[in-house]
Amino acid sequence: MSVNKIAPTLVAAAVATVLAAGSVQAANEASAAGTAKAAPPALAPLGEAPIPPDNKSTPDKVELGKMLFFDPRVGGDASTGCSTCHEPDQGWAWAEDFSRGYPGTVHWRNSQSIINSAYFPRQFWAGSASSNEKQAKAAAKGGVAGNGEDDIMEARMAVIPEYRERFKKVFGTEWPLIDDVWLAISAFERTMNTTGKYEVPLDKYLKGDKSALDEQQVRGMALFNGKAGCINCHNGSLATDLDYHNIGIPPNKRWEEDGLAQVTFRFEQYAKGQTEEGYRAAKSDWGFYYRSKNKWDRGKFRTAPLRYIEYTAPYMHNGVFYTLEEVVDFYNAGGVDEEGRTTLFPENKSKLIKPLGLSDEEKEDLVAFLGAFSGPEITMEKPKQPPYAPLFTKAELEAAQEEK
Amino acid sequence: MVVRVTTGRALLAATLGLGLAAGVQAADSPDIGPLPQLEIDKAKAELGKRLFFDKRLSGDAAISCADCHVPAKGYASEKALSPGYPGNGHFRNASSLVNVAHRKVWNWDGRIGTNLNDMTREMLTEDYIMNMDMRVMQERVKQDPVYVKMFKDAGYGEPSNGSVRKAIPEYMKTLTSKGSPFDAGKMSDSANKGMALFKGKAGCVQCHNGSMMTDGKPHNTGVPENFDVFMDPMNHQAFIAFTMFQGIPNYMNLKRDPGYYNITLMKEDMGKFITPSLRELKYSSPYMHNGMIATLADVVEFYNNGGGKDSNKSDKLKPLGLNDQEKKDLVAFLEALSGDELTGPEHVWDKPFPAKYEAIENWTQVRN
Ligand code: HEC
Ligand code: HEC
Ligand code: HEC
Ligand code: HEC
Repeated sequence: MSVNKIAPTLVAAAVATVLAAGSVQAANEASAAGTAKAAPPALAPLGEAPIPPDNKSTPDKVELGKMLFFDPRVGGDASTGCSTCHEPDQGWAWAEDFSRGYPGTVHWRNSQSIINSAYFPRQFWAGSASSNEKQAKAAAKGGVAGNGEDDIMEARMAVIPEYRERFKKVFGTEWPLIDDVWLAISAFERTMNTTGKYEVPLDKYLKGDKSALDEQQVRGMALFNGKAGCINCHNGSLATDLDYHNIGIPPNKRWEEDGLAQVTFRFEQYAKGQTEEGYRAAKSDWGFYYRSKNKWDRGKFRTAPLRYIEYTAPYMHNGVFYTLEEVVDFYNAGGVDEEGRTTLFPENKSKLIKPLGLSDEEKEDLVAFLGAFSGPEITMEKPKQPPYAPLFTKAELEAAQEEK
Repeated sequence: MVVRVTTGRALLAATLGLGLAAGVQAADSPDIGPLPQLEIDKAKAELGKRLFFDKRLSGDAAISCADCHVPAKGYASEKALSPGYPGNGHFRNASSLVNVAHRKVWNWDGRIGTNLNDMTREMLTEDYIMNMDMRVMQERVKQDPVYVKMFKDAGYGEPSNGSVRKAIPEYMKTLTSKGSPFDAGKMSDSANKGMALFKGKAGCVQCHNGSMMTDGKPHNTGVPENFDVFMDPMNHQAFIAFTMFQGIPNYMNLKRDPGYYNITLMKEDMGKFITPSLRELKYSSPYMHNGMIATLADVVEFYNNGGGKDSNKSDKLKPLGLNDQEKKDLVAFLEALSGDELTGPEHVWDKPFPAKYEAIENWTQVRN
């Protein structure tokens, strides 16, 4: 894993040198001429979401998945389901720095939007889940997320007659199985994309509709691809290289002031397999390190995809920035916030992150361009929760009693 | 979740427990008598008491041990069926915890035969009981300065989930009967007559013997099913989760509590439950694993009829032919096995818990 992780960074660094000299255009030419290994792939329109062969989509499965996504009974105390932290009117995420948690807890990371999640081969801020299916299971069970156990959640499905019927229809089983819950939810998530009528202006533009961006946004795009160097990481059709970088995000100060957040902070060190020394010493989220256990991965996170961000503030894995202006200021300062704070692992900070020298007008242009990553808001009426009902009649129970 | 590994040990403990072979005559049963003294570490028990009453020990911080094991009810549940963790119900009565440290096997079906530490873990982690991720619990406890001090004073050092599971059992040791007319040797005439029936004509002592009045073994007495287990989907879902986990065949269609069968999966164990203690019954109504019998007079009536209806019923149970006075005497004896309520501050944590977690000061500078 780690070997893969170093290589792209090195390549990107080489590219950055070229970029400093000119534009993406130049970089592309340079790479064509063989002087640089590869330029970052240019931004491209979002294609169709991939659908894995072992979880084919059907309208009934998607409908069932939608009901389950909105049903808090997929969780420990029947209060906290997927949509609880992925609220449609909060960008299908949660509009606080740290996500709300399971009752009695707070989360320690920002809630990511589920919009376009289907495109990511590795999910979560540090990529710890390898599919929507695995992600959903982890979310429903996590101690500060759904806190549900398989057996009780599966049992609950059985005493909800409408689910029993729908699972039978979709999966052909006599009783609902918990793993099929994750399949159905994933099938639903794979329909929640910025495609079709939710296509974002940037994609329209890239497909040839030059009226989709205004002049300011076009100037911002040039900066994104050139002087500001965003394209080094936010590239291709997903606006992410799917790699992990430390861009200098400082720890959230809430950990210094909020006892509940301190509880979760330490819990996560355990849950993510820290060493004893790491548990004692950690004062920020070590990100990709928890997966690779290499010290040079501390503070690295997956390059965030940028589509739909207009609706998903606050930003970054710990929600430290509430506006895109703050994000651009942070990058312009070379990965340092307005108080001069940065990552606790400066030795790991990407070489691609350095002061950009953008003027106020350029910053405004860049922010305007970031706006082109979002189209219409995706809304949806929440489905009704199907009711519980007894499985047996009194007469059946009496008959069984007689037979004892 | 309990692992099936405890099963074998449960069997072992049940067999070794009170050393009684099945079918022995009443005369051979270990005599009923006072309970032995337990040595208690005060600081540990005090810590355990606070933990027992602390809702922060459940996943969503909504219930404590004491919400199901209610002090005024002899540390049993208020209703026939115990409440469950929020969003769930339960399918059994929460057993009384008075004298629980004197038992050798725990739960109505005896599925834990090791110690109260394992029993406490089961209660904390079971999805429909407290649904607690013990790593979250440990960090919550560490965040409360009162606990940090209490753990230290108790000699445990830094709070850990391991010492939580030691301190609570130490507290449970303090839940021991005291002041019953039976132990004090101050029973009424009627109760004395009842005791004679208990040991003689009524044959209760065949199963209810020794100082805890239990042989620690499973028997089928034919207690009728409590239909609320199945008619209320919240209870039924907990029952399904439980029987699924226990590996009961055809659990989705099960319409009875299988009892000890959970452990052995042998047909002859269907509907058997471990003989409960008979102390402190005054407080812990209703009775039986599912709370199906409301009063002690009803229990005596039940036995007088030879128990309930079940093809697998113990052959120790036969209609007893007790007259009204004898029934009253037997009830008087059962009542004389109850002592003082354990509801004072020595047993009940009555100080408030903090409403929020204080932040650890200077957090960036101190080690976690
Ligand atoms: C208690 C709040 C909470 C609940 C409940 C919750 N999530 Fe999340 N979700 C989050 C947070 C916070 C993250 C980021 C966590 C991380 O990176 O460690 C996240 C991340 C995700 C992602 C990753 C997106 C990406 O771009 O990689 C998906 C998909 C997702 N959640 C779907 C779900 C589903 C499906 C459920 C229900 C089974 C669910 N969530 C339940 C808070 C929650
Ligand atoms: C070295 C790679 C890299 C470069 C260069 C880079 N980013 Fe990022 N970007 C990331 C990573 C990694 C994250 C997630 C960081 C985190 O959460 O800690 C991110 C997060 C973001 C986010 C937050 C998205 C969200 O959903 O929270 C925005 C907005 C963003 N970048 C915009 C930009 C802009 C604009 C530029 C150019 C000025 C830029 N990025 C340059 C890697 C990069
Ligand atoms: C949601 C209700 C509930 C909560 C909370 C709860 N219990 Fe229980 N407890 C029960 C029920 C019901 C039983 C009987 C279970 C069975 O027989 O299957 C039981 C059984 C027990 C037993 C076995 C008693 C015996 O004599 O066999 C012990 C010991 C016990 N609980 C201790 C605790 C402790 C300690 C806590 C807190 C850490 C706790 N319980 C929290 C409901 C609860
Ligand atoms: C064959 C063994 C056996 C005999 C004989 C027996 N019992 Fe029991 N007793 C049990 C078992 C087993 C239970 C628990 C049954 C259940 O919960 O389904 C029980 C439960 C009880 C309870 C309820 C305790 C509680 O905490 O809910 C009382 C009271 C009781 N018996 C009294 C008596 C009396 C009085 C007699 C004599 C008339 C007697 N028993 C004879 C085995 C026996």
